[in-house]
Amino acid sequence: MKDIKFSARNVQVYYGTTHAIKDVNVDIADKTVTAFIGPSGCGKSTFLRSLNRMNDTIDICRVEGDILLDGEDIYDKRVDPVQLRAKVGMVFQKPNPFPKSIYDNIAYGPRIHGLAKNKTDLDEIVESSLKRAALWNEVKDRLDAPGTGLSGGQQQRLCIARAVATQPEVLLMDEPCSALDPIATAQVEELIDELRSNFSVVIVTHSMQQAARVSQKTAFFHLGNLVEYGETGQIFTNPVDPRTESYISGRIG
Amino acid sequence: MSDQHILSAYDRDLESIQALVMKMGGLVEAAILDGAQSLETRDVELAEKVRANDKAIDELELRINEEAARCIALRAPVSKDLRTVLTTLKLAGSLERIGDYAKNMAKRTNVLVEMREIPGPDASLRRMAREVEGMLRDVLDAYIQRDAKLAEQVREHDHDVDQMYNAMFREFLTFMMEDPRNITACMHLHFIAKNIERMGDLVTNMAEQVIYLVTGELPEDSRPKADSTSYISKVD
Ligand SMILES: Nc1ncnc2c1ncn2[C@@H]1O[C@H](COP(=O)(O)OP(=O)(O)OP(=O)(O)O)[C@@H](O)[C@H]1O
Ligand SMILES: [Mg+2]
Repeated sequence: MKDIKFSARNVQVYYGTTHAIKDVNVDIADKTVTAFIGPSGCGKSTFLRSLNRMNDTIDICRVEGDILLDGEDIYDKRVDPVQLRAKVGMVFQKPNPFPKSIYDNIAYGPRIHGLAKNKTDLDEIVESSLKRAALWNEVKDRLDAPGTGLSGGQQQRLCIARAVATQPEVLLMDEPCSALDPIATAQVEELIDELRSNFSVVIVTHSMQQAARVSQKTAFFHLGNLVEYGETGQIFTNPVDPRTESYISGRIG
Repeated sequence: MSDQHILSAYDRDLESIQALVMKMGGLVEAAILDGAQSLETRDVELAEKVRANDKAIDELELRINEEAARCIALRAPVSKDLRTVLTTLKLAGSLERIGDYAKNMAKRTNVLVEMREIPGPDASLRRMAREVEGMLRDVLDAYIQRDAKLAEQVREHDHDVDQMYNAMFREFLTFMMEDPRNITACMHLHFIAKNIERMGDLVTNMAEQVIYLVTGELPEDSRPKADSTSYISKVD
């Protein structure tokens, strides 16, 4: 049994009066890739964002229940969300590079968190992060060019490089491959598998094949409920809940 | 849960593979009955027909394999759909082998015509073949209706076939001891009985596969084997 990284207990998330996450209980294991799947609007992104308090930035959003990271309540008043997000990195559904150079997009986090002693260190972090995100070869000759000038798929990989640069303990990825071609997708999946030896990775994906390929655990969400959570192999060969079955096999629900 | 896929072409693919299995099953059923009858009535022409039809059975298996591979490649089936596709492959494999046994049975008609008559075994062989054919019919019904209970009943029938075989085995020994001139014919008849018994085993495997298809799990208790002939050394 792997250690538990995140433990969610009776979690509710509301946007105003919309009850977007309904009483979710789940343990997310360390050194494991966990996939969140489910139809559009079922609350995957909402739940993912609640794991590093990204929902704090949405005024009407309210989170109830307990979310523990390594046994500590991340919604405790003493927790600094900025520190939390350095530990729990995130890659968003839409690529959102800073309006800065490619180099600075990646160097920013390590700089503010003091991860590099000098310029050589920083150069190294930038290079290795870009390599891990399978972007290095495409951008190594133009690190000073603005990140926003890259193609959509390249921007997404830049954001992945930025997220791994701070060496988070957990990486949350919201459909990280939706804008990537099959080669870049395979490279990101390879990266995810590699990250698993040290980190916990949670990935939201609409591709059943991707969930099956990269994850060891799968959680199926439906209308804000966590309907089924188990070994990925079991979910894709013999799910217990008929709603899971309908969804993964492309049936009319 | 609805049985329909959002992509209706997917449903058509799955249905068409399953229809091929049913068609193959029908041909194999006929092969068993015709094979058994050709033996009993020493009907060389009917035996020839069984041999010729075996080609059609083999071709159907190839087609099922191709369509299943295509479906896996193009549709990446999961869960129940994956089990459906895997099951068609397994069933087609078993059907092909049952067809081979039926063909083998028919082939021996030509030999038996030349042999001296032995009263008794013909009727027993026919009963055994009928029993297996009935099991096959039920297993195909269970398959298409996703009826695990019926498949379970088929499994239980395998015991009867095994017992018929054991009884025949003893009967052959008696004939051979009575008169050594019976040996050649009895050896052939024994092979036929053994083949029918093997068909029963394959039908039982098919039943287990249907249970897997419906429930997602193979039945746990492996069937008690009732072939006790390995212990029989003498008949008293
Ligand atoms: N900022 C917001 N303000 C108000 N309601 C929101 C907000 N974000 C999400 N919601 C609502 O919460 C529910 C869950 O949305 P969420 O974005 O978590 O879904 P999702 O599962 O990630 O869907 P998708 O697969 O389309 O990304 C939806 O009903 C959505 O309309
Ligand atoms: Mg989302």
